[in-house]
Amino acid sequence: MTAQVVGPTTQGAPPPTSTGRPAPAGRMRGAVLDQSRGGMWAWLAQRVTAVVLIVGLLTHLVATHVFNLGHLSFLNISDRLGSTFFVVIDVSLLAAAIFHGLNGARMIVLDYWLKTRGSRLALTIGLWVLGSVTFVYGLWALWPWIAR
Amino acid sequence: MSEARFRIKRFDPASDAAPRYDTFVVPYEGSLSVLEGLFSIQERDDGSLCFRYCCRAAVCGSCAMYINGRYRLACQTNVSQLHGGDITVEPMPHLPLIKDLVCDMTDFFAKYEYIKPWLIRDEDHDPEGEIAQSPRARRKLDMPIDCILCGCCYSSCPSVWGEENYLGPAALLKAYRFEVDSRDEAGRQRLPDFDNERGVYRCHTITNCVEACPKELNPTEGIQWLKGAAVRRRLFGRRK
Repeated sequence: MTAQVVGPTTQGAPPPTSTGRPAPAGRMRGAVLDQSRGGMWAWLAQRVTAVVLIVGLLTHLVATHVFNLGHLSFLNISDRLGSTFFVVIDVSLLAAAIFHGLNGARMIVLDYWLKTRGSRLALTIGLWVLGSVTFVYGLWALWPWIAR
Repeated sequence: MSEARFRIKRFDPASDAAPRYDTFVVPYEGSLSVLEGLFSIQERDDGSLCFRYCCRAAVCGSCAMYINGRYRLACQTNVSQLHGGDITVEPMPHLPLIKDLVCDMTDFFAKYEYIKPWLIRDEDHDPEGEIAQSPRARRKLDMPIDCILCGCCYSSCPSVWGEENYLGPAALLKAYRFEVDSRDEAGRQRLPDFDNERGVYRCHTITNCVEACPKELNPTEGIQWLKGAAVRRRLFGRRK
């Protein structure tokens, strides 16, 4: 009788970890890996928005606290937003901050919860809706200067 | 004659309700590695003590353990390095346990195999003789080829703890080892294996793997390179 060669098995309960607690249910134990695609765009956009945030925030801080030192008022800010450059900076900051923050939160949630593909998709769609609404709300606040 | 006190975490899931720590005193002269201490305990005190070892020369990675709160290879850790006191020996945390100091590495090696850890050549251009490589191209392999698959990085990675399907630093470092090799022509063949949220993008550069590695390698650096390689290939059609 020849020995039957088998690959890594998923049969039987997973052994406990060194703490004595059982290993998490659903641990792979040699099963076929989930070949879900994606991730590159989210990762790349997180880097791009990080650069936008650094440039935008530095511009914002320098404009607010260096050049306008001692003159922080609604009128000053309103005057500054009269410049197309600062409107572009503020809209970019708004979009980058919303995406960067929500995508970061999404990564944390995906790290520890939501293991099924459907739940992950639902989270992503939900966050896009939330982010879009927030962005539109921010645009609405800036609209008097955008439409000027 | 000197003495070393070993405090060893013991647990047999088949018969024990909970883990416990057993203390053993090992007499020695001159020098003693932790692995030699474990041999002594197994031969003189408790034959049921279970641990893995093979080469005894820090090459095979079998004896990776959690010694005095750090990932170390038992064979290359001398008790004189541990600055006195009890020597606490535990299995690598966060991995399924088989018995005492032996962890179940099934997932670890399944993931390792998944990233195709071998040189992939385009058969149409495969030369008859050896494949030449410049010293500069060879130097890129200096770091990743030293990986001994001990699993310390895998055990220490919080992304592995939270996501059981994440490939982990060791498998991704091996993918980097072949992707950065000028002789490898996998192109897009290996790309789908690591270019996903269970692959390189699950790494958040926490760098626990760098801290844990007993060979002082940098898996995070390799994973970051793979992220860049995925972007270069998918957006710009580059081969490397």
